[in-house]
Amino acid sequence: MKRLVSGNEAIFQGAIRAGGSYFAGYPISPTSEILQQAALYSGENPEFRFLQAEDEIAAAIATISASLAGAKAFTATSGPGFTLMQEALGWGHVVEAPCVFVNSMRVGPSTGMPTQPAQSDLLQIKAGSAGDYYPIAFYPNSVEECFRLTANSFNAAEESLSPVILLADAFLSHLYEMVDLERITIDIVPRSKEPLGKGQRLFTGTAHDKLGNVKTNDPHIYREWLGELKERHDRVAAKYPLFEYLPCKNSETLLIAFGITSRIVSSLKEHFSIFRPIRIYPVLEKELKDVTQSYRHIIVVEGNDGQYASWVECAICRKVMKVPCLGGGFKLKWIQSQIEECLKGAGR
Amino acid sequence: MDRSYKELLKLRRFPHTWCPGCGIGAVLKNVAIAIKELGWGYQNTVAVSGIGCSGRMSGYMNLDAVHTPHGRVLTSAEAIKTVRPDLNVIVLSGDGDLASIGGNHLLHTFRRNPDITVFCNDNEIYGLTGGQAGPTTPKGTKTLTSPRGEPYLPLRLGRLLTQQAPYFYARTTVYHLNHFKTCIREALLWKGFSFVDIISDCIELNGRRLGFKTAHQMFKWFDGRFHIVEGERDHLREDELGIAKAVLEEAPQPVEREEGKPEIPMEDLKSFTLEEVQRFDGKEGKPIYIAFKGKVYDLSASPLFQGEKRMRCHIAGKDLTKDIDMAPHGEDLIFKFPIVGRLE
Repeated sequence: MKRLVSGNEAIFQGAIRAGGSYFAGYPISPTSEILQQAALYSGENPEFRFLQAEDEIAAAIATISASLAGAKAFTATSGPGFTLMQEALGWGHVVEAPCVFVNSMRVGPSTGMPTQPAQSDLLQIKAGSAGDYYPIAFYPNSVEECFRLTANSFNAAEESLSPVILLADAFLSHLYEMVDLERITIDIVPRSKEPLGKGQRLFTGTAHDKLGNVKTNDPHIYREWLGELKERHDRVAAKYPLFEYLPCKNSETLLIAFGITSRIVSSLKEHFSIFRPIRIYPVLEKELKDVTQSYRHIIVVEGNDGQYASWVECAICRKVMKVPCLGGGFKLKWIQSQIEECLKGAGR
Repeated sequence: MDRSYKELLKLRRFPHTWCPGCGIGAVLKNVAIAIKELGWGYQNTVAVSGIGCSGRMSGYMNLDAVHTPHGRVLTSAEAIKTVRPDLNVIVLSGDGDLASIGGNHLLHTFRRNPDITVFCNDNEIYGLTGGQAGPTTPKGTKTLTSPRGEPYLPLRLGRLLTQQAPYFYARTTVYHLNHFKTCIREALLWKGFSFVDIISDCIELNGRRLGFKTAHQMFKWFDGRFHIVEGERDHLREDELGIAKAVLEEAPQPVEREEGKPEIPMEDLKSFTLEEVQRFDGKEGKPIYIAFKGKVYDLSASPLFQGEKRMRCHIAGKDLTKDIDMAPHGEDLIFKFPIVGRLE
């Protein structure tokens, strides 16, 4: 049955559909509703475990530990909380714990503007924790996609044996749309990892060899391990080359936008071609190269000061123009005028 | 002597990384003995540890072990216990990891009282990083980061963890071996959060700076500082070794909902139609009636309705059943008032 569903509820229901059985979180706008739903749901379903942690550090650590113990675990937060979760994110990659981190972005840095929407945590998903790691991140732009991509995130997590990040923004979290969640069908990847209590393994954040022995002074073992991690993540990411491309016949300009900005600029699809990456990280290099080569101007419209634009520039080895929607201001008129200005500057 | 506890140790990884004379070896060995005596094994036991010299303990145990980031050991152990209540979760960690960087987690895990056992190798120093002052370093101790003596009082874990029942806090040392073994065993058998504060020595990075030549001299120092107290205790003084435990829930109970008045059978109530109820809207000295879930209540005594026809959005003489969803209060506010009849 179709009913009004918010982005937050769709995310939670998507996690349940994917078999999520553990949630740990800490109240933060705009994802508190996910925490509340988890509390409510665990009251009705005792096999679903829930923890309101003392802080986001604990929430993230509990998520990963629960995953090691055998639960499909997830947590949800916003930018400042995600900053605290970075430690666990790095740890999750080393101990190979499949789980999902939901980050509904708001204006930062620090407390920022609670709760104006933003898209400014893109670099944080990749570079927030120490060392090299290769997270997979998705970014939906509708309530139905929130549901689908949450389930996909769980699948990708099981396949890559690592935390997967689902991005959203304050707009999307509180967006209500008519969706029939029951009729959506998604294939679910079952749990792939042996839970705790099955052997004599060591799950350590320290560099280790395949037997779990701590090896802190052997570059070969480290390189081998990191190479394997990268290869596994690239392989899994290749399974989810998700994007949306709306070509416009007479346009020489390509707009790149994702999440809520893609919803806003979609009303310009009569004038410009629009490319929407859904898998935000790893960057869709091949797809971006293919799509962008036929366009004279490329404009990245995003809710931050050019974070995705810098990735696009790296991927296609070309300068792109930027329209940063900062401070929670996502007005179509303003975006339109900025695009015009960009094109004027580029000498159309 | 029974050496079967060695099955629980990863002997292939020996020699271990700890300095000669360190107390951690005794902790590892005696925990392994206790686990073996209880008949636990890798099928039902998980060791969790944090960072530090003591954090390496889990890696030497022949169990599924989790080695967490610095300070997060308790949260991790609690989550594992929540998901897998069938597993025995033991925490092997140190004072810096548990009380300093993991201090917040210690408070809240203790409060939530999960059934885990914590062994805290309390050597009063940060050993792995070279001997910096820790949260339990006694005042006046000279360390790398307190060259003129530690200026602050140490954190008293014993007082902190016996604040509110239920609790299990044991203090022992690696020198008082029999007492040490009893504490480990009792803690493993305790249902709930149990914490064993094991006073241990760090001869290389703390003891030598304090003027001790050998680990044994440090043990003798412990012997002089502490004495064992027997029997059931509620609290331990700072110089006492023993077990303080309490099972009674002392914390105030959550406020109970007020006992409902005896139910009056619906048939015995006077019946009203909605139109009749509407007449009692408080005007001209009439009482204020409202309908709620098929019953009619007299709200005349409500201080918020007095003299007025309405209180915010609640209108006298109306059926307010649907209003309760939007109201900031619960139904019990209405149940306080006398029932005068039922709605047709």
